[in-house]
Amino acid sequence: MSRLLSAIKFDFRFQLRHGFYGVYVLVCSIYWVLLHYVPTGYKETVTLLLTFSDPSAVGLILAGGIVLLEKDQGIHASLFATPLQLKEYLLAKSISLSLLSLSAAWAIHGFGLGMPDHPVLFSLGVLLTSSMITLLSIGAVVRSQSINGFILLSQLYVLPFTLPLLGFFEIGPSSLYAIIPTSGSLLLLRSSYSTLTAGQIGYSLLILLLGNFLIFKWAHRSFGRQVLRNQWNGGVQG
Amino acid sequence: MIMVKNLQFKYPGAAERTLRGLDFSIRPGEIFGFLGPSGAGKSTTQKILIGSLKQYEGEVQVLGKEIRTVGSDYYERIGVAFEFPNFYQKFTVIENLRLFQSLYAGPTEDPRILLAKLGLEDAAHQKVSQLSKGMKMRLNFCRSILHRPEVLFLDEPTSGLDPVNSKIMKELILEKKSEGATVIITTHNMQAAEELCDRVAFIVDGHIKLIDSPRDLKLRLGVRQIRVEYRDNQELKAEDFAIDGIGGNERFLQLLRQYPIETMHSRETTLEQIFIDVTGRTLT
Repeated sequence: MSRLLSAIKFDFRFQLRHGFYGVYVLVCSIYWVLLHYVPTGYKETVTLLLTFSDPSAVGLILAGGIVLLEKDQGIHASLFATPLQLKEYLLAKSISLSLLSLSAAWAIHGFGLGMPDHPVLFSLGVLLTSSMITLLSIGAVVRSQSINGFILLSQLYVLPFTLPLLGFFEIGPSSLYAIIPTSGSLLLLRSSYSTLTAGQIGYSLLILLLGNFLIFKWAHRSFGRQVLRNQWNGGVQG
Repeated sequence: MIMVKNLQFKYPGAAERTLRGLDFSIRPGEIFGFLGPSGAGKSTTQKILIGSLKQYEGEVQVLGKEIRTVGSDYYERIGVAFEFPNFYQKFTVIENLRLFQSLYAGPTEDPRILLAKLGLEDAAHQKVSQLSKGMKMRLNFCRSILHRPEVLFLDEPTSGLDPVNSKIMKELILEKKSEGATVIITTHNMQAAEELCDRVAFIVDGHIKLIDSPRDLKLRLGVRQIRVEYRDNQELKAEDFAIDGIGGNERFLQLLRQYPIETMHSRETTLEQIFIDVTGRTLT
């Protein structure tokens, strides 16, 4: 556990040192200004969509960027010649970026709508969505050779996860999107201004936990195969 | 300490095996060198020994455990320094070491004391990106010994270093040996191997062609002669004499008495020449 905490702590420092937080504060400030001009009747919907598309999805770009920076600095071979396990490395990335997402989501929501009606459910929605998208990003970035390649591939990978937005706008039957974990994200985020049934809460948590589990497994396998094998080959020749 | 029997390995998708039945053992406290040209299999052997390639055939035991069964706690007991000294570039020397230190559960050295020992104390608060290659190599070594490993794997430890830094690195390695660590070196550098290794293994095409101590090899396979260079008037001349019975060799004694001697050397061969003679290959 202490190794995981060390890895999380270092990830925070890495993100801070590379200026990620500074940029994100700037992005949040722009959202605050924009939300100020949104008419009251649309504020709830716009804030929910903003929380879904940015804080919850912040890991999509940042996690990939971090892994590419680490890859560029050739750090993985040395890192994995210590007792640090790949699962701890992935969890540290996922937890550190999810906490960043949570802070941003609260900042945006707090400014736009004030305190959410159900803060715990709202927070769980942001955390579980962000961790899942972070892991998805890591699975995508290990298959990319450049930042441009990663941006294209990550958009492709995340596309299915945006489909429940169609359901949110009542395009097609909502049951069609029920197997996509981000349906749970939208429900939990909606708890900030409406009350969910026990069934909806159970379904949302279950589908998001399942999504996290499956994408964690996929990212773990992808990283082991794509990055570590190449790093070892790069670290020692012949 | 390390025992390897009939080790074979084939990379996925490769047509042929990279390792074709290696047998060797390494004793505790020994400095053991793997020598061979690029692609010979020495680094693959090292990758297997450090636990990064587990799909091998044969037996590989390090510290009493079969490598394919070891978990992450194995890295508490071994240290690895790769040829390329990679660190977090935007972090300082001490920040990098403290991160790596925090990943070990067992006792670790104080990074500041280690840095002082390696002559890097003044660089502690410099960003890694500002260090020279020699400093990075010393920092790399520092990282690999931070947790007091019993076995140390060093890949080309003197690669790219100037003579001064190369000498410092060799002294550090010998110091770890004197503290009881077992050191496994992978290198092209015959001179470093000669100076450091108790025994060397020549690897070519996935086979070990020979294992012996550099000194014994040089004595056994070298020419048992002494070459004397002397000045006869203004002309530089040289003569060779058999070492056996040299004390009674009249011509040799006459040279010593009669001429100013410029140099006098035994003619044992170099490790590089032995490698070429034994394997038929060069190290490039």
